[in-house]
Amino acid sequence: MHAALQQLRISLTLHYRNKMALIYSYLFPLIFLLAFYVLYRYERVVLARHMGELLTVSVLGGACFGLPTTMVSERERGVWRRYRLAPIATSMLVLSVIAARYLILVTAGLLQLAVALAMGMPMPQHPFDLWIVFTFVSFAFIGLGLVMAMMADNVPAVQALGQCIFLPMLIIGGIAVPIATLPDWAQHLSQFFPGRYAVQALQACILGPGLGNTGFELLALVIIGTGGTIAGAKMFRWDAQQRFARRSGKAWVSVALMSWVVVGILAESRGYTPAAARSSEERPAPTTAATAPPPQPSVPAPSSPSASTQERSAIPPVLTLSEAEKKAASGGTTGAPGTSNPRATAPKNKPAAEAAPSEKPSAEKPPANSVTLPHPTPPSWQAVTVADIDRDLVFDRLPSDSGIVTPIARDEEEPDPDTADHLRFIQENLPSWQPGKVADPVQRVRNMLYVAAVPDVQQQPIERFAAQAVFYQLQQDIPKDQLIKVLYWIALHPTDGDDKAVGDLWALRFTSDPVDLEQTRERAAIYGVKLLGRLLGKLPHGGS
Amino acid sequence: MHKVVVRDLEKRYDDVRAAQGVSFEIDDGEIFGLLGPNGSGKTTTLECVIGLRQPDAGHIEVCGMDARQHPKAVKEKIGAVLQTIALQDKITPREALELFASFYKRTAAASALLQRFALTEKADAPFDSLSAGQRQRLAVALAFVNNPELIFLDEPTSGLDPQSRRDLHGEIVQMKRDGHTVLLTTHNIDEAEQLCDRIAIIDGGRIIASGPPRDLIAASTSAQSVLLRTAQPLAIESLAGVPGIDDLIYENSTITFRTRTPAPTLSALMQVVSELDVEVLELHARKAKLEDVFLALTGEESQ
Repeated sequence: MHAALQQLRISLTLHYRNKMALIYSYLFPLIFLLAFYVLYRYERVVLARHMGELLTVSVLGGACFGLPTTMVSERERGVWRRYRLAPIATSMLVLSVIAARYLILVTAGLLQLAVALAMGMPMPQHPFDLWIVFTFVSFAFIGLGLVMAMMADNVPAVQALGQCIFLPMLIIGGIAVPIATLPDWAQHLSQFFPGRYAVQALQACILGPGLGNTGFELLALVIIGTGGTIAGAKMFRWDAQQRFARRSGKAWVSVALMSWVVVGILAESRGYTPAAARSSEERPAPTTAATAPPPQPSVPAPSSPSASTQERSAIPPVLTLSEAEKKAASGGTTGAPGTSNPRATAPKNKPAAEAAPSEKPSAEKPPANSVTLPHPTPPSWQAVTVADIDRDLVFDRLPSDSGIVTPIARDEEEPDPDTADHLRFIQENLPSWQPGKVADPVQRVRNMLYVAAVPDVQQQPIERFAAQAVFYQLQQDIPKDQLIKVLYWIALHPTDGDDKAVGDLWALRFTSDPVDLEQTRERAAIYGVKLLGRLLGKLPHGGS
Repeated sequence: MHKVVVRDLEKRYDDVRAAQGVSFEIDDGEIFGLLGPNGSGKTTTLECVIGLRQPDAGHIEVCGMDARQHPKAVKEKIGAVLQTIALQDKITPREALELFASFYKRTAAASALLQRFALTEKADAPFDSLSAGQRQRLAVALAFVNNPELIFLDEPTSGLDPQSRRDLHGEIVQMKRDGHTVLLTTHNIDEAEQLCDRIAIIDGGRIIASGPPRDLIAASTSAQSVLLRTAQPLAIESLAGVPGIDDLIYENSTITFRTRTPAPTLSALMQVVSELDVEVLELHARKAKLEDVFLALTGEESQ
């Protein structure tokens, strides 16, 4: 034990004396953080929604590059060979290496979080849970790093091997590219990658319900970490002269690979849904508290188009409650003090498909999953009054029109030639687009808002101009008074009605790429509030 | 009492048989040298004994224990200096000693080792700032961190400057005085002759001779070397009548040769010099050294 602690102490001491190691361990994660922050146009909330990805990238980098590089370079130099002369067990050395790397990862993660918080990111909702999940994520990736260290014969081989793991994990592993935007085969493939579970579990602790819904993710990380650690320990090489290709025991690599396969098969067989998506059905989405601290818990947490699947959690519409109402709500149905989530009364443990009625347009009476506020709400959209709007909605904390979430072009803004052609086509065909002609005015407006929301989610170049065209067309088609009431109704009932119109967007020459429907509904609701603000004169016409 | 017993050691790397039935014993308190040219199998043999390599066959006993059955217990009792000293760039001598001390049950104080091996001033300097001699002293200090009964030194002086080499030789002699048993591998014949109580000459993975250096020399049939330098060059034809000259090298006014019959050969040579009335500036006759024995046995020029 004394030897392991001494080894741990020396490993950490030497790490902190190595400038390059410090750059890789601590500076790179901060550069990633700042880069994301700038890319998301300084949106603090968006940063919080991507913190799981950023932390995963930090762990992945530290485990796939930092750990094996250190181990292989020490082995190449003969340091381990010298250790082998001492009466110490392989397991002692492996454990101290794991412990040292874990502490380095934890401190790097803490630094990254601290800087993010200093930049204004909301405090993670479940810090203790986050630490636990971070430990699981570290274990999974350190196991992977151990396998790489045993497979690589020299440091250049570590870099090559690291890229082979790092890039696929970023692209189809659910870390850097939203899984919802991936082709179907890649979405299935991502279930075999630990990155997906790492992001999901971390994000569930940052903006989600915490550990409660991350059982499968943690199980997946443990399986992958255990497989890697066992394989790494079994293939342990003290001596650089023991080449991997010529060693017996290299079949242990298959144990590490099998752990990935087992996780993927489990996910496939169980019809895996991400933790955040599950949580949105089971309890109020906690984003409000994170994004709008009391006493104004009302900004919809915007999810960026590049967000991962954890952003499937519902974003509440723009609501405002008095302190008394909030207390009543928190003591009653919301279950999350200080939040005003319209999903507060969504039945627990209810699947997404059930929670969102698909065939029935909401018109006459509030459906089961509508907002429950601690004061009387209009029984139908026709009964909505200006007083209802003034009481329940706020307009001053919406995402910027020039941001990446629900952007809207300014009047004088000109699209590029390709976008202009597409926009012209939309403007010409939107008036006759069938989903925009359905009898139920609420569903009709909802369908039209999808025309703006889908390109926003998919981050298409036309997104900001499509919103402008939709706003124009809605005002052409529907009387202002009626439109105001319908938009309020949609804001309070973002998950009502159907979303079949999304499948008819091809008629407006939109791509048929898959889109996250829940996210689309969120964006539609936000666009609805933005238009409502303009109609009421609460938002400037050309942008906010 | 034997501190080390090696019997019929075999080690093969693919097609190369690095150790072929190597057998030797090392007595308590002696310095034993494994002498051989590069690639002869001496390092392989040493690394099998200290547990860095698994032999294919053979019996190894260290401090009365079967080294293959009880490697951990054996490692508690031995210290070793490998050919290359390998430590992290930024570790300090003090940290390295404390780290390695934590691996053993019985340890020496780091401060005492730093003092003994003249590293006190560099105790907190990073390893990459140490000179070659300081690094080697640190390597030896690390070998002593567990107060070992038996020290293994694998070519410990290679790459050292003369002063550092001399210092290390003094240290090795001190080890013997302190009661340690030492196994030393080297290809430096003078070093082996100077330091070792007994040596084993190893070549091609086999031990081809062993014993005290003096005994090996005495038993050798190697010729004596003769050097003659004269004021005027001798005509090579004039030496035709001198018997017993081998390996004659003629260079201006200096001739060198070997002879197995020094008395008649030198007598005849002096007669020729006298007849030609040539002034003798220098005349050396040197009996066989360990180097001659080694070269005769291995048939190689190792130095």
